[in-house]
Amino acid sequence: MSGEGSTVGGESTAGEGTSRRRPIDRGSVGWLFDAKLIAVAVGSLAVIVAAGLVQVSFGAYSMTVGQAWRAVLDPAVLFDPRWLLNFLVGEDLMRTITGFGGELPRLTRETLIVWNIRLPRVVVGTLVGANLAVSGAIFQAVTRNELASPFILGVSSGAGLTILLTLVVFGSLSAFLPLFAALGGSLAFLIVYAIAWKNGTSPVRLVLAGVIVGTVFSSLQTALFFFADDIGVVQSAIAWTTGSLTGTDWEQVRLALPWTLVAVALSIAGSRQLNLLLLGEGTAKALGMSIEKVRFALSGVAVLAASASIAVAGIVGFVGLIVPHVVRNLVGSDYKRLIVGCLFVGPALMVGADVGARLGMSVITGADAQVPVGIVTGLVGGPYFLFLMRRQQHMGEI
Amino acid sequence: MSIDGLERARTDETDGTDAADGTDETADSTAAKRPGDAANDDASDLGGEGLVLGYPDAEEPVVDGESIAAAPGAVTALVGPNGSGKSTLLKALANQLAPEDGSVLLDGRDVHSMDTKALARKLGLLSQESTSPNGITVEDLVYHGRYPHRGFFERTTTEDARAVDRAIDLAGCGHLRDREVGSLSGGQKQLAWIAMVLAQDTDVLLLDEPTTFLDLHHQMEVMEIIETLRDESEVTVVVVLHDIEQAARLADRMVALADGEIRARGPPEEIVTEDLLADVFRVDADVVSTDRGPRVTPIRARHAD
Repeated sequence: MSGEGSTVGGESTAGEGTSRRRPIDRGSVGWLFDAKLIAVAVGSLAVIVAAGLVQVSFGAYSMTVGQAWRAVLDPAVLFDPRWLLNFLVGEDLMRTITGFGGELPRLTRETLIVWNIRLPRVVVGTLVGANLAVSGAIFQAVTRNELASPFILGVSSGAGLTILLTLVVFGSLSAFLPLFAALGGSLAFLIVYAIAWKNGTSPVRLVLAGVIVGTVFSSLQTALFFFADDIGVVQSAIAWTTGSLTGTDWEQVRLALPWTLVAVALSIAGSRQLNLLLLGEGTAKALGMSIEKVRFALSGVAVLAASASIAVAGIVGFVGLIVPHVVRNLVGSDYKRLIVGCLFVGPALMVGADVGARLGMSVITGADAQVPVGIVTGLVGGPYFLFLMRRQQHMGEI
Repeated sequence: MSIDGLERARTDETDGTDAADGTDETADSTAAKRPGDAANDDASDLGGEGLVLGYPDAEEPVVDGESIAAAPGAVTALVGPNGSGKSTLLKALANQLAPEDGSVLLDGRDVHSMDTKALARKLGLLSQESTSPNGITVEDLVYHGRYPHRGFFERTTTEDARAVDRAIDLAGCGHLRDREVGSLSGGQKQLAWIAMVLAQDTDVLLLDEPTTFLDLHHQMEVMEIIETLRDESEVTVVVVLHDIEQAARLADRMVALADGEIRARGPPEEIVTEDLLADVFRVDADVVSTDRGPRVTPIRARHAD
């Protein structure tokens, strides 16, 4: 962190020689116009657009990048609120909102393929990446541990167990699997909190309780694999527990979008509390923070974000761990900027990794198979973490 | 409001000769300004009654049924050997530790029943266990001191900016304003943390060993800040100090603790005596009174026999 050349504050207001101070946290939106933050946002957007274009042009129906680009920007969709709403909120709701009863205008073949099949996957990836990154950033402040991820307080093991239970034991209910996964994660989080609670909690107690619950639930989850009788169920279980964007549709966008918006708004609103948590429990308390309430509320927001992503993509690892690190290295540890940075870098990593997940196998082996995106994020994230660890002296301290 | 006008007070003094002036004043004003003076009417009252204090893991309470009153508008120093319970007592006064019995009253109200933010607007605490996050500037840190004055969605106001400027001036860390907290020396960090507590703009200030582990220069810086508070403001200060000479120089009243009991309380000249040092600190020492308060020369440790 401090290794990054940001020792003197003036740097971030390059070209603002007249103002004596940095506009951090002061003006209403002044803090957004930070040179580094803007660079991070622009860089991430470039990655998302590039990876998204690759995603929409390759596939069973092959088209050139130019064709794909034109299909994405097809005015027949972009300037037709009926089509846009049709995708974003679903056909029924679109008809209720617009009162439109007729047949939607015809689209070209390319546009239909891009908008119906390929684009939603990019959008879901964006939402999942943003959710996981924000969730990880919050948990790192709440547990005061840089190695915290969205899943540190048992969310992944709870979700994993309910996924296995649904697939193996209650097969008939598999339509509700996304809901069950999210609920299982939240339930595990509550159990962790209850275990850690003794006249209040502390970061260490929370992490320990998370390990305990995680261990038990993962054992149960592994045990359930023995009862799976066909390979399809096992593959589906693995896809869910490692995280996959295969087959995601606008349906998933509709499922995740509202919760994502809520979680992001709450986490930006809570960024000042997150900053204060970094000063240590004693100081936060002395400054008048109701520390237990704030900690639980912020954890709740983080679990909400994690659950939204689990419901549509399963348990994608590493994104929530790595992205806050990357962003902290780039824009510093002020949480307002950190959260905003996460909203860009998270999607960039997720959408980028999904290119590898969807097309990697066919490039390497020629087989027409996809791997769960969680495998790619792990393959990318692990070495990057190693790089960070070698370069930074104080890994683990926030 | 409480540290209003201090900025002026500090800047009026010529920078270079600060130290010398400050000490001369000290001697005069300690004599002139004693608790109970009419001048301290507006100052806040902080006191604990029949406090029984302990930690969940320990069986025996650290402090068993003591009462303490901070001198309003003046400086009260808590002294005592390691483990005597002075930091525990300070934590209880700051509502960081709930008493097993007894209560802490701030202007007649039980601090435990006060809203945490309302309390933090009246009472500030500089604790020993603060961690400095990387990647934030001194100014950012000082702004955190304004937390209790802001609502959940409120932005910083000009009032906040003024309080921050005042606090930074008073703590004398204007030159560090844009430096990253992580890159500062221990002494500079302490000044930054003190500025943060000052920005909280409270009537009562509790300081837990603010000079421990600092080099001489920064010890003097910190002492001067407290002297300014004592002489120029109505802030009620309670400070835990290891150095008994420092305590005698700074404080209007001293409270000496040993084994969780208050052994003595009163003005420094009554407290800092050879008998008390033998009783409380278990050392034989020479005490000579000078213009700058008593000078203590420890001679040898007393061994239990």
